[in-house]
Amino acid sequence: MAGAEDSLATLLAACGRRDRRAFTRLYQSSSAKLFGVALRILRREDWAEEVLQDCYVSIWNHAQDYHPGLSAPMTWMTSIVRNRCLDWLRKPRLEVSDSDGEMIDQAISDNPEPLAELERSKDAQALARCLQELEAKQRQAIALAFYDGLSHSELASHLRQPLGTVKTWVRRGLLRLKACLAGAV
Amino acid sequence: MRYRDKPELQDRLAAEYVLGTLRGPARARFRRWLQDDATLARRTEEWAARLGPLSESVRPVRPPARVWRAIEARIRAAAPTGAGLWNSLAFWRGLGLVASGAAAAMIVAMVTVGPGAPRPAPAPVVLRVPANEMPAAYLAVLSDPKTRKPMLIVSAMRTSNQLWVKTLDPSIYVPNKQLELWAVMPAGQPPKSLGMVGKGQKTMLPLHAKADRSLADVPMLAVSLEPMGGSPTGEPTGPVMYSGPCVKYW
Repeated sequence: MAGAEDSLATLLAACGRRDRRAFTRLYQSSSAKLFGVALRILRREDWAEEVLQDCYVSIWNHAQDYHPGLSAPMTWMTSIVRNRCLDWLRKPRLEVSDSDGEMIDQAISDNPEPLAELERSKDAQALARCLQELEAKQRQAIALAFYDGLSHSELASHLRQPLGTVKTWVRRGLLRLKACLAGAV
Repeated sequence: MRYRDKPELQDRLAAEYVLGTLRGPARARFRRWLQDDATLARRTEEWAARLGPLSESVRPVRPPARVWRAIEARIRAAAPTGAGLWNSLAFWRGLGLVASGAAAAMIVAMVTVGPGAPRPAPAPVVLRVPANEMPAAYLAVLSDPKTRKPMLIVSAMRTSNQLWVKTLDPSIYVPNKQLELWAVMPAGQPPKSLGMVGKGQKTMLPLHAKADRSLADVPMLAVSLEPMGGSPTGEPTGPVMYSGPCVKYW
């Protein structure tokens, strides 16, 4: 994994120097992952395609701002995609009325819980271990928010809990996660 | 601002921004804070590093070929046409001039992919500076890329439209040539001339608008060597002699 990340960093640096060939290779080696992330949050292929397009244009335009010392290349690119997806979900035309959470429930049930597969990199192993230490409801709320892009109110309706309760689960879950990861280093 | 002296609140907002549960106007507001607050940006990066590995387990899905074709077409359309040296990032990198302070990468990544809505005007700022502290200002120290020696200091108070240039080394003047100061704009935009550096130790250059408008988005200032009277084309024609990041002090 370290090798793959190194080479992504090299490719990003070359993109910063306007190397189109490097950009092609960057796309080839990262687009499936990023498309997966976008699809999972947006749950619609056409939206995910549009977001992916915008994100790679943005990655190309800002490759020179990528700083390998500050974040791993995949973290950097994934942040761009996740942010774009969350902005996309905010667009008023896309706000789907889903008061009983049925649509979301259905979409989510198609996607198996991905936490179990979290064991690739060392960081991911530490994170998986710490997630296991959370209460199940905290873990579930965090996973739904992260993977499926659910807002607090969507979490509340999906989990059939009052808004305040899910907010607390998320907040406490994040605090415990931070403490656990700090201890894991 | 309410959040500034509350590290726990900052940390929670950063965590929920990365997790995605910070939504709507709160998310937009947070993103604006990120641009000006290095501590908040650092906390956000830390959270991105903490939660980022979650993405590793997302199932990869190969996007259809049309996505790549569209990306290529957009990049080709946006390529600079004949803008030459100054727009070449390779050139800037070669000089070691890439202004990415702590967290800048993350902020750029997060801000520039926003929904494209115009950013609301910044809230009016009350300029009350504690005694002995320098007032809120834009600052740049321009140095020689080879020797790294600082050669000029450029400053402008936030609400002023006067830009002050102080020369630190009289050896910068070249006979029969003039030094022109430029605002190096974000990628893809041509640099803007700020005026000619005078022969004295200090030069005042008028800005076309208050510094808060004319310098807010300028990542870097640079000085090029030009014929007497300045660049004949409106864009730099001579070599870049000195440059440095343009930063905010407040």
